[in-house]
Amino acid sequence: MEYFAALAIAVGLGVPIAVLSAGLAQGKAAAAALEGMARQPEAAGQLQMTMIIGLAFIESLVIYALLMFFMLQSRLPATAEMLKTLVK
Amino acid sequence: MEHSGSALHQPGSWLHWIPLPPYMGDAVAVSWLVIIALTAVAYLGTRRMQEVPSGLQNFLETVVEGLDRFTRSVIGSEGDKFTPFIATLFIYIFIMNAIGLIPGFVSPTATLNMTVALALTVFVSTHYHGVRRHGGLKYLLHLVGEPKWLAPLLFPMHLISELARPLALSVRLFGNIFGEDQLILQLAILSPVFLGFLPIPVHFFNMGFSLFVGLVQALVFSVLAAAYFAGAMAGEES
Repeated sequence: MEYFAALAIAVGLGVPIAVLSAGLAQGKAAAAALEGMARQPEAAGQLQMTMIIGLAFIESLVIYALLMFFMLQSRLPATAEMLKTLVK
Repeated sequence: MEHSGSALHQPGSWLHWIPLPPYMGDAVAVSWLVIIALTAVAYLGTRRMQEVPSGLQNFLETVVEGLDRFTRSVIGSEGDKFTPFIATLFIYIFIMNAIGLIPGFVSPTATLNMTVALALTVFVSTHYHGVRRHGGLKYLLHLVGEPKWLAPLLFPMHLISELARPLALSVRLFGNIFGEDQLILQLAILSPVFLGFLPIPVHFFNMGFSLFVGLVQALVFSVLAAAYFAGAMAGEES
C-alpha cells in the first residue's frame, strides 16, 4: 500500500517540479532575447529564431518529465479495484 | 477513464484497413500516405518547369531556397550536399506532426518507432559522412578533446554524449507531439456538454498551438541534425 502511495505522490509531483524550473529558465531566455531585440531592432529576426530554438530545448526537458509521468501513471491501479481491496 | 491501462494506446484512423502488424499500427500507414502526398506535390510542381516560376512551382522553389539557405548557414560552404536530407527531414516531420490534427488521422511522430527511426537515420548519416571525410581512426579520436592528458576522462564522456544524441532527438520529438495529442485528447474528453447534448469543444484552442509546436519541433530536429553534420564535417565538437 505504501508503494502505491509513493507512486501516486511521484506521479503528482514529477511534472509540476519540472514545469517550475522550465518556467524560470524560459523566462530568463525570453527576457534576454527581448532585451537584445530592444537594443538592436535590426537583429530582431535572428534573435527571434534563436529564442524559439532555445525555448524548444528547455521545453524538451519538461517533455522528458511528462514521459516519465505517462510511464508511471500506467502503473497506477484503477480506483474501482483499490476500493474493492480497501473495503474488504 | 476508469481503466488502469496505459495511456499510450493509439486511436484508430481511416487507414486501419491496411493490414499491418499491431506493433506498427496506423502510424506507418499514415506515414506512407504523407510520403505519397509529398511526392505527388513535388511531381506536380516540377512537371512543366518554367524559367520564371509561378503557382505551385513558385511556392516549392521558395521553400527549397529558404531551406537551402538555412542549411548552408549552419553547415557552411558544403551545406549544398546536405540540403536534400535536412530539408526532407524538416518538411516530412512537419507534415507528419500536422496530419495528426486532422480528424481521422494519427501523427506518426507520436509513436516512438517513428522518431527513433528518424534519429537513427541522422545518427548513422552523420557518422558515415564524418568517417568518409576524416578516416575512421582520426574520426574516432576526435572525441578525445583538447588537453590530451585528460583523455581517459573526456573520451568516455564524449562517447556517451554522442550516443545520447539520437536518444535526445527521438525522445524530444516523440514527447512533444505525443504530449500535444494527449493534451487535445484529454481536453476533448473533459469537454463540458451544454444542456446535455451540445458538446463545447474546449480543445479547439489548442489546435493552433499544436500546429506551432509541430513546426517548432520539426525546426529543432532539422537544426540539430544540421549542427551534428557540421560537427562531423569539421572534425571537432562545435
